[in-house]
Amino acid sequence: MEIRLHGRGGQGGVTCAKILAAAYARLGRHVQTFGDYAGERSGAPVRAYTRVDDQPITNRNKVYRPDHVIVLDRHLLGRDVLDGLASGGILLINSGEEFGAFDAGLETYRVGLVDATKIARRHGIGTRSVVIVNTTIAGAFAKLDGIPLDVLEETYRKLGFSGNFAAAREAYESVRERPARFEPRERGAAPQTTRAAPVQALDEHFESPPTGLKTGAWSTQRPRYIEALAPCNAWCPAGNDVVGFVQALARDDLDGAARVLRSSTPLPGVCGRVCPAPCMEGCNRAEYDGAVDIRGLERWIADHNPAVALDHPALETPLRVAIVGGGPAGLAAAYTLSAAGHTAVIFERERELGGLLLTGIPNYRLPRQVLHREVASLLARGVEVRCGEVLTAQRLRDLEREYDALILATGLQKVQSLVVEGSNLRGVEDGLGFLRRVNLHGAVRLHGHVVVLGGGNSAMDCARAALRCGAERVTVAYRRTRAEMPAIPEEIEAAELEGVRLLALRAPVGFAGGERLTAVRLAEVDLGEPDATGRRRPIVSERTSELPCDFALLALGQSADRALLPADWELCDGHVRREGQSLRVFAAGDFATGDGTVAHAVGSGRRAAGRVMRAFDVDARVFERPQRELAVASSEIRFDHYERAERALERCAPLPTRTRGFDEVNLGLDSSREARRCFSCGHCTRCDTCLVYCPEGVVRRTDHGYELDTTFCKGCGICVHECPRKGMEMTTL
Amino acid sequence: MTIELLSANHAAAMAATLAGRANRGARGFGGGVYPITPQTECIEFLCKQEFEKGRIVRVESEHSAMAVCMGFALGGARSFTASSSNGLAYMTENVFAAAMYRLPIVMMAVNRTLGPPWNIWVDHGDTLALRDSGWLQFYCEDNQEVLDTILLAYRLAEDRRVHLPVMVCQDAFVLSHTMMQTDVPSQALVDQFLPPLDLPHRLRDTPVTVGGLDFPHETEVHRIQHEQAMRRVPAVYGEVAREFESVFGRKPAAPIVPYRADDAELLLISMGTTASTVRAAVDRARERGVRVGSVRLRMFRPFPSRELELALMHAQRIAILDRDISLGQGGILWTEARGAAPREALVQNYVLGLGGGDIRPEHILGIIDDLGRRVHAESPEIMEVAT
Repeated sequence: MEIRLHGRGGQGGVTCAKILAAAYARLGRHVQTFGDYAGERSGAPVRAYTRVDDQPITNRNKVYRPDHVIVLDRHLLGRDVLDGLASGGILLINSGEEFGAFDAGLETYRVGLVDATKIARRHGIGTRSVVIVNTTIAGAFAKLDGIPLDVLEETYRKLGFSGNFAAAREAYESVRERPARFEPRERGAAPQTTRAAPVQALDEHFESPPTGLKTGAWSTQRPRYIEALAPCNAWCPAGNDVVGFVQALARDDLDGAARVLRSSTPLPGVCGRVCPAPCMEGCNRAEYDGAVDIRGLERWIADHNPAVALDHPALETPLRVAIVGGGPAGLAAAYTLSAAGHTAVIFERERELGGLLLTGIPNYRLPRQVLHREVASLLARGVEVRCGEVLTAQRLRDLEREYDALILATGLQKVQSLVVEGSNLRGVEDGLGFLRRVNLHGAVRLHGHVVVLGGGNSAMDCARAALRCGAERVTVAYRRTRAEMPAIPEEIEAAELEGVRLLALRAPVGFAGGERLTAVRLAEVDLGEPDATGRRRPIVSERTSELPCDFALLALGQSADRALLPADWELCDGHVRREGQSLRVFAAGDFATGDGTVAHAVGSGRRAAGRVMRAFDVDARVFERPQRELAVASSEIRFDHYERAERALERCAPLPTRTRGFDEVNLGLDSSREARRCFSCGHCTRCDTCLVYCPEGVVRRTDHGYELDTTFCKGCGICVHECPRKGMEMTTL
Repeated sequence: MTIELLSANHAAAMAATLAGRANRGARGFGGGVYPITPQTECIEFLCKQEFEKGRIVRVESEHSAMAVCMGFALGGARSFTASSSNGLAYMTENVFAAAMYRLPIVMMAVNRTLGPPWNIWVDHGDTLALRDSGWLQFYCEDNQEVLDTILLAYRLAEDRRVHLPVMVCQDAFVLSHTMMQTDVPSQALVDQFLPPLDLPHRLRDTPVTVGGLDFPHETEVHRIQHEQAMRRVPAVYGEVAREFESVFGRKPAAPIVPYRADDAELLLISMGTTASTVRAAVDRARERGVRVGSVRLRMFRPFPSRELELALMHAQRIAILDRDISLGQGGILWTEARGAAPREALVQNYVLGLGGGDIRPEHILGIIDDLGRRVHAESPEIMEVAT
């Protein structure tokens, strides 16, 4: 019995022939298997052969009159594939089509159809760029020729292909067969022995022949030049085009970088200082030699190019939108609306804009003038402001009527209180209240030992501010472990460096003292099963002890105060409804989501503004949060193409002087060089790697990047495999 | 012994590995290797093996590969390398040197057409260009024979009556990349067949100069010694083959392999895998009543003239099939073998399968027809068989 396989270089025809030979050998037959080898590789039509006999095999020719034929690429099906195939023989084709899709003339063969490409792809068989069908289609042939499944499984195990057997089994089970209408007919003609024909003398053919071979017709897969989602962009809660501004900076285009950054955020100087930087968590460089310092670069742009001119479209009938709350979400919503030509009016309870950025974050972390600068630049765009008014439910109803739309961005107003013995003692204070006093009214005098209860950024701010207000000793008590603290790790480190002591697995159960606080009573905490957040649930034990102290600051978190909404307003998915009817009232920022970071608030404010515009104009752009799972993964980056480079360090004020005042501690990067470490994931940098590596020379530069000459591209996938940053992907034809 | 589905490249590498390990009690094993299609799989396999004593050295060229082998061999180690085509051409200076130093190196050569223009498929021109290098040469017909011949080659090369390097040749792709069931012997049996190597002229504690200057008379003596060693090979081969059979239970092929030749009026002489295709054609021609037979030449150096004369004794018409050509002369096998034909026989040379052309039984049947019809021999017939 002779089997001939037709496939393309890279599909694994030789291995498929070997699997079948090994299976027949396991059944006690004599076998021989080999491939056609030539200079053409990936994509070229190639053949492989398997001979099976009850006698030792002496014949060593290629197979010219096969009993069975296997076609790995359906597009190869043609006269040469069928050449010499015996009537009644198996013709197995890799295809998801129906029998009717094939030309007439196949009736004399037992046609088998199996979508091996689909099965192999589902089982993830192949290289990073190319699906390989060989181990899958062998399963289908085994079924058609009666090789038992257990023999096949053993064969795969012996050859080290056990991992691919599930796909083979699926092909075995899903192959469809149409019986042959038997009709004996002449097989391929016998070869003729020819003597050498008269050969032309050398000087008679000196012209190069034209290139007649359109190798592009061979390909089953083709590379596509793409832009893929960078993880930093996917991770950024604010929706910034991070890779866009970092790459502009890498090209020393500070203006361009500022334009990209300011197209989505009014607060780069703020975020460049206080953002927990999820983008850096997603950064693929983290797995190589450390994430790019994106936060530092954002700050660099804000500090070195504070005023880049952005276009303002002039609208005939601009919307008037009231925004309640002048924190980051409200500011971002106002910024987005004004950039689109609409009028935003911000209502703010305090005398100044900024919300928690103003009242909650101490100057050493976010200097006032940075916030002022960014607020001023926002106001310069025509945003109106009404400060000092506390809004009632009735006032909200009026605003809803008076304005085209209303955005609620009041943040988290309700402080998590602690109802335990002694919480009313003098010396026990709400941490945010303390920070507000510090930030709005200058230094507050503290002394002795201050205990901060909590583990978030506010707790760290309280602790470090307390040191600057005269505390001799500061302890932070947190109910979980240090690793689970929600505060930014750098903030925890900075606090420790300044002398703050961390006390993990402690929960406050009471305060002791007469007129004044003298100690906080802490219970030891055990960790139980993981909860919904994946963190182990804290279980407060009976074991308690007293920690003597002079002040206790409660930083246990806040929540949204929904009570300020009119009674018949119902908030659902960031959108307010009244009696089942949608109002043009949207929620934004922490009031809507409770995510708790500036970047989240900026993104949320921007999306709320987008929803407002969309409500009036169906063509308005919707700002979607990108899906992280679509982002370029580190396994798709070719680390070999990048030189190792340590992350640039930000400059810091000297430690001994830090806690003497509220001057900024982190002084930022000393240059924008750090941007050059960016991999530019999914975003082509015109590095020419695809062009250089293409063995066919079919990749060309264009004004917009690269294009491929599909007439000659064989679909080998080398450009995709070698691209350092996933600027290309393979597609099946 | 276990039966495995192996390509001849892997069969060769396994044989070398077994032979190398068999010398662990003496000076160990080593070789220099450099890849070339279609030999690469052989050395890749070899490089993955671990040796208790010795190692495989990856070098930057074939010339150095043979130099490393000579170093190992002069140090008393068992030594192996593999190459092909233009790789052999580049190695040539040291191929001659290995023989002149009388070193028992074994080399697997995959026969591939010499370029340019480049061609990766089989013909025998590359190793036949080295026929005068002083090496023994064997041409194999199947995967098992490649494995067995490499084991035999070490016994021959290391025999005190021989002390010459051996080239074991196999056809590109038709054998090198074709997988067939192959019987792989156990290490214990190979240990039994291949005693530790004790090369008398290996380097020892006293420094000596090797390959210094020869004056005319010294060269004459060296060539006579070399030629005498070559002439002793057939007898040694007989002894070694008998011992091979007693250890492995398998009779290795003789230097000359006749097939249905006893009563044949027409005889076809060939080498390598062409011979197995010839056997298939002989069977088909015999069915038609043609008294035709085949003689396969397995050992090309030393050339088995006397055995060939005996095999050709009764033939009236002889076709010599060459998968090679000495340009300006004709087939090399024909040049060498025609002298062994009876004086009155018609001897015609057919050159076919150059550059890897797929020789099929139909082509051979055409030759048998042509040979039977001939009135007298003509100059070599150069055929096209390509598909």
